[in-house]
Amino acid sequence: MKKRILFVDDEQNLLDGLRRALRGQRKEWDMAFVLSGCEALELARKEHFDAVVCDMRMPGMDGIELLNNLASLQPDLIRIVLSGHSDRSMDMHSAVLTHQYLAKPCDIEILKAVLTRALHLRDALTNERLQSLVTGMSFLPSLPAIYKELTERMQSPNATIREIGDILAKDPAMTAAILKMVNSAFFGIGRHVSSPTEAATLLGMNMLKALALSVGIFSQFNASQFKVEDFSIDTLWRHSQAVAALAKQIAQAEGCEKEFIENCLVAGLLHDIGILVLAENVPDDFIRCNRLMTEEGMDRYSAEHEIFGATHGMVGAYLLGLWGLDDQVVDAVAFHQCPTEAQHPTLSPLAIVYIAGALDKAESDQDLTAPESPLDAHYLQTVGLKADRLEHWRALQIEADEALEQ
Amino acid sequence: MSEIEHLTRRCEREKRARKQAEALLEQKSLDLYKLNQELAQLAADLAEREGLMRSILEAVGDGIFGVDENGCTTFINPVGAKMLGWTPEEIIGCNHHQMVHHTKLDGSPYPAHECPIYSAFKDGKVNYEDGELFWRADGSSFPVEYVSTPLYKHGELKGAVITFSDIAERKSHEKEQNMLEIQLRHAQKLESIGQLAAGIAHEINTPTQFVSDNTRFLHESFEDLGQFIEACNHLLEAAGKAPVSAGQLGKVKELSEEIDLDYLLEEIPKAISQSQDGLKRISKIVRAMKEFSHPGTEEKTPIDINVAIQSTIDVSRNEWKYHANMVTDLDPDLPLVPCIPGEFNQVILNTIVNGAHAIADIAGDSPEEMGTITIRTCWEGDWAKVTISDTGTGIPESVRARIFDPFFTTKEVGKGTGQGLAIVYSAVVDKHSGRLDVESEIGKGTTFTIRLPLYSKTEGQQSG
Repeated sequence: MKKRILFVDDEQNLLDGLRRALRGQRKEWDMAFVLSGCEALELARKEHFDAVVCDMRMPGMDGIELLNNLASLQPDLIRIVLSGHSDRSMDMHSAVLTHQYLAKPCDIEILKAVLTRALHLRDALTNERLQSLVTGMSFLPSLPAIYKELTERMQSPNATIREIGDILAKDPAMTAAILKMVNSAFFGIGRHVSSPTEAATLLGMNMLKALALSVGIFSQFNASQFKVEDFSIDTLWRHSQAVAALAKQIAQAEGCEKEFIENCLVAGLLHDIGILVLAENVPDDFIRCNRLMTEEGMDRYSAEHEIFGATHGMVGAYLLGLWGLDDQVVDAVAFHQCPTEAQHPTLSPLAIVYIAGALDKAESDQDLTAPESPLDAHYLQTVGLKADRLEHWRALQIEADEALEQ
Repeated sequence: MSEIEHLTRRCEREKRARKQAEALLEQKSLDLYKLNQELAQLAADLAEREGLMRSILEAVGDGIFGVDENGCTTFINPVGAKMLGWTPEEIIGCNHHQMVHHTKLDGSPYPAHECPIYSAFKDGKVNYEDGELFWRADGSSFPVEYVSTPLYKHGELKGAVITFSDIAERKSHEKEQNMLEIQLRHAQKLESIGQLAAGIAHEINTPTQFVSDNTRFLHESFEDLGQFIEACNHLLEAAGKAPVSAGQLGKVKELSEEIDLDYLLEEIPKAISQSQDGLKRISKIVRAMKEFSHPGTEEKTPIDINVAIQSTIDVSRNEWKYHANMVTDLDPDLPLVPCIPGEFNQVILNTIVNGAHAIADIAGDSPEEMGTITIRTCWEGDWAKVTISDTGTGIPESVRARIFDPFFTTKEVGKGTGQGLAIVYSAVVDKHSGRLDVESEIGKGTTFTIRLPLYSKTEGQQSG
């Protein structure tokens, strides 16, 4: 089925340009072009769209208002802003409301790639309910202890940006949110940033304070409203941090490049973000899924397929892809349970996170993170890693564990 | 009459005379004594008065000195001597001008005959000077303010008394204040330039987006057309050799459908003309930006203010276009107006932005309704008149008197420095000797009327 995409801009010439330049997509996409927020809403009331690309400043209804209305009308709508204003004076809420914020002039190939990737990841997450759920998410919950540490530190007059960055880097939710922000054209950084500490430095203390304290891009995990028993967010976080640290160590040991190592670290930290999304938003299904594992001895991968028709990896990948995180990170999150399903097997952060995840799970006695399967020696060989490195990685894991405990 | 009688009488007479003389002597002695007393009193009074004079001279904070008709210092109070870095003994008797007043502010020698102090004791005028230099013993100088008063003796000009004070501190205060004011203006300018730059970027970004999209389309279309032309050429070639078969024709037809030839033929000219429009828009705004910024010209030059107004409208488009339509009625017969171009543009910009904000405020609830900003120019005798009207909120009577005060703002903190209209006032009234009037009605809008003199007046009439 063709994807339906809605373009909104107050300038006819701009819409005409987009229509012509995207003509090559006419076999895959059905495109509508309208001149105002009101027209866009009217159309969206009658027809379903998969994605919207809209301008921010328009006379009458502006982009923020339009996106707000569209989000409540069609929660599974992918929201992309294409704005001529990349200055920071615009309402910061628009950066939160948007999945990706692109600046004019934007290369049509980039716009195409962003749309294609988001649509593709959404399709990969076959469950429609999950599609809507993830598309509608603006926030991910953080570990309360880290959240508290962050807000306290931010209110201290002698906090340094470095400290704040280190706090952000400990929490998967904060890391994802801050990377979404810093890579958005809203802030006009102009290059891809994959380290949360670097992101903190680039945004600066005032912007971070505004984002955290007034816009509220971080939120606290509320344990009292949480219905799933036997689930400990602390354990999930500990595992995420351990895999992140180990993935970084392995990548370093395998002589990878800096950006690759950073992606391993971030992917390690975020690889189970989908578990959090599922546990928090569809607790009943999540409990059923766990029961399949404990009572019927299924592995998590099969149990998730049984209940959701998709894995937590795909849930996380769709969310992070929507938020514009690096492809390597998104891939690693998507396939860390089943690396052989990924296209083009190469030595990637996926392979590293897969190894790190398996090693940490072997150590862990937590049910939730029980091993799915031993390391797939054939896969390791395909991506060019030798299985005899395993002992070395195990040693690294012990080191990483010790470092984490400190 | 006997001799004795005669003698006796004489004796009596002598006695009387002597008594009289003695009495007279006594009287004279008394007078003398009294006179002496008075004299002593007078001397004491004088001494006292001189003491008083001295303590006055010593007590005042200003320097005071006297010069004789040759310009030589006759006296100087200690404060004055101290300011000049000499002792009074060193100064008294020396030519004042040569000693402390020899060089001008610009470093050139100061001829005595030009000196206002000199003129005080030559032609008897009281002179006040502010900002000349006095030189100290160590060769350094300080700015002074002084009054020189001629001194008469028996109706004859005998010299002058000069009081002076060191105004270095006042000057530095003035300088500081000036600097502060300049910095503030500069900050406002930067703020408005920063805001403009963001707006201009948007004005350029949008056409850049569709020009490059269209170019991409033309590139792809040309590939399709090339394919089609090649097929047509093949067909032509084949037709030259043998009759064309239905299959060959069908292939070309199929291709024309596949590349959607009709669509291409319809869209390509549009893509080209819209791209040309886009490029025109970009060059227009770049030109307007150049005209608006007018680097360096701080002096009045005759300019076509209609062109300047149009450029300012163009560069500020992004500030008003979401709230207002712009209507202009510019008098083509208006002669050139002597202006400081940067200042004039700033006046127009600040007034437009002010109007756009007033309209945005009124439109708060129903943003679909656009207001109007109208700019008119006309020739009014010796004046060029510019009126800028908006259909905004209007200015309440209670604040109308204060809108041109620096720092006065009705906007919330962070939304403006309160300098916008103050700058308009200072530019129009102080820098251009023009007039600025404002009419306003609540809920209807505001009209600013700017009148600029077409003919420059003498420098003296312009306040610095």
